[in-house]
Amino acid sequence: MENLLIPTTETRPQPLTGQAAPPVLRLTNIEKVYQTKTIETVALNQVNLTINRGEFVSIMGPSGCGKSTLLSLMGLLDEPTSGTIEVDGRAVQSYSDRELAGLRNLKIGFVFQSYHLINDLSVVDNVEVPLLYRKGMSGKERRQRALAALDKVGLSARTGHFPGQLSGGQRQRVAIARALAGGPEIILADEPTGNLDSVMGEEIMDLLLALNRQEGVTVVMVTHDEQQALKTERVIRFFDGSQVS
Amino acid sequence: MLRHLFTLIWNRKRANLLLISEIFFSFVVLFGVGTVLITAGRNYMAPRGFEPTQVWRLLVRAGQGQKMPRAELDDVLRQVKALPGVQTVALTSNNLPFTFNTNNSDFVYKGRKTPFANTYDADDHYAEALRLRLREGRWFAPGDDGTHHRPVVISENMRQYLFGDEPALGKIFTYNIPGKATKPEDEFQVVGVVDNVRMTTDFDEAIPSVWKRLIPYDTTHWETAAVLVRVAPGQGGMLQEKIARTVAGVTRQWSTEVRVMEDDRLHRRLYTLVPVVGLCLMGLFLIINVALGLFGVLWYNISQRRAEIGLRRAMGATGAGIGWQFLGEMMVVTTFGVLLGTLLAAQFPLLHAFDLATQPYVLAIAAAAGAVYLITALCAWQPSRLAAAIQPALALREE
Repeated sequence: MENLLIPTTETRPQPLTGQAAPPVLRLTNIEKVYQTKTIETVALNQVNLTINRGEFVSIMGPSGCGKSTLLSLMGLLDEPTSGTIEVDGRAVQSYSDRELAGLRNLKIGFVFQSYHLINDLSVVDNVEVPLLYRKGMSGKERRQRALAALDKVGLSARTGHFPGQLSGGQRQRVAIARALAGGPEIILADEPTGNLDSVMGEEIMDLLLALNRQEGVTVVMVTHDEQQALKTERVIRFFDGSQVS
Repeated sequence: MLRHLFTLIWNRKRANLLLISEIFFSFVVLFGVGTVLITAGRNYMAPRGFEPTQVWRLLVRAGQGQKMPRAELDDVLRQVKALPGVQTVALTSNNLPFTFNTNNSDFVYKGRKTPFANTYDADDHYAEALRLRLREGRWFAPGDDGTHHRPVVISENMRQYLFGDEPALGKIFTYNIPGKATKPEDEFQVVGVVDNVRMTTDFDEAIPSVWKRLIPYDTTHWETAAVLVRVAPGQGGMLQEKIARTVAGVTRQWSTEVRVMEDDRLHRRLYTLVPVVGLCLMGLFLIINVALGLFGVLWYNISQRRAEIGLRRAMGATGAGIGWQFLGEMMVVTTFGVLLGTLLAAQFPLLHAFDLATQPYVLAIAAAAGAVYLITALCAWQPSRLAAAIQPALALREE
């Protein structure tokens, strides 16, 4: 069967070589401030960060240090108060809602700590969700891609199940399959093993590592787990909204 | 995306059952009210078949047990007709247009039976007084005095029931009294066909009608004589007084009552409109309740699905796309309710309920479906906008 997970030639990530890979994401002088009537909270302060194509990067730090905010900005789900975000060398601050949605759909896959599966949809229907927003894709192709993604995460036998019928680890696999189905260049994982026991956590971590090494997918993972972070190529640490290493 | 929405709604059918039920009942109420309004409206727009304006209703009463000699009655009619401002005077039965008196029978011609038809007694001037529109043949004339069968004029729809598309003139039909020999005076020969008439109310359909020639050889047993008086435009109370004085001038024992037919029409219209308006108000009240319910349920639904909204935005949905999705979901739920309602409503034309034609039912189904879609779209619009405005990063973090 044709591997539907591999992106087209133009967007396919290049395998890692000795020379520096081009940046897929670049954040320059990023500041994010949450303003209420009485309080101003600086969530991110002058963050400069480059994620290269094919990298597996961990982001670590205590709760409330701005890790998830950073991931939301990288995923184009939120706008910085100041600074610029570049995707593939192009600044996105002037992009419309429609253009940002298109970029998210084509380039980025999300994996969340609490899976965020839609309980009323079967496993395969859940995996199809990102493909629903892709113009010109037929229902047949959507189904093929979803099934291939589920095959990749070892859940071919659970396609008709509903999320409520799966274990935590299986749910997270579905979430990863959903992130993979669209053939993204980057996977942004927000504490993907946070709700799982250590065995299942290891399984999910292995899956992400395999995707990074075999498929060349860039992975940015927020984690509290030092052991898992050490398995990645680079660890970025945050404290109080600032990058400390 | 539509298939996705159907899948989502179908998988949430239990949660959506209440919503679908509400929409189903709204549809049924709107269908009922719609059928009444469409039928009444269509009837109102249909030609009346006669002209009630400038026609008065004169009732001459001899009193209980009193005699009404023919000569004196003729004298009254002659003198009233001679009054300035009076154009025509016609003697008739007391089931006058827009009154609550009715006289109906069913008839038969060679095995073809009619539904109950309104029957009127009418003299030779009746058609002129009401300005009935003749389609075939003629109205009654003095020449009919010697005929063997009783001359009648029938309405077009009566002709259809009795003779179909065949010619009606000269044909003889009778009362539908199975097992009884027909008396000669109950054999009716058609001399004319007039346009359909709507003499009950403004909102009723044209009822098949038969006008039998009134032959009052002996009126002494009459207690009341009903007279139609067509007057010239602009006549009012003064002429009414003159008519009353004229009758009193012939015989002081007889009393009179003069009523304007237009007043009767408006009075009768009120009787029809009051229950219809009541029904509409009840329907409106129900629909407002349902609309508020839908609005509340949708609002709650969106607050419960913030994480899903955030997820869809992360997966590539635009804010507007989320709004359209919620609107679309509501339309799919509405479709389930409307389909169930249509299934029920379709039984009415199929079973020919209430003797109504198919068209008002079909129009009512279409109108009810349109109204239900409009109501749900309006109710879903604001919550959908709310959903579209949800910040994805915030929604995903709330879980």
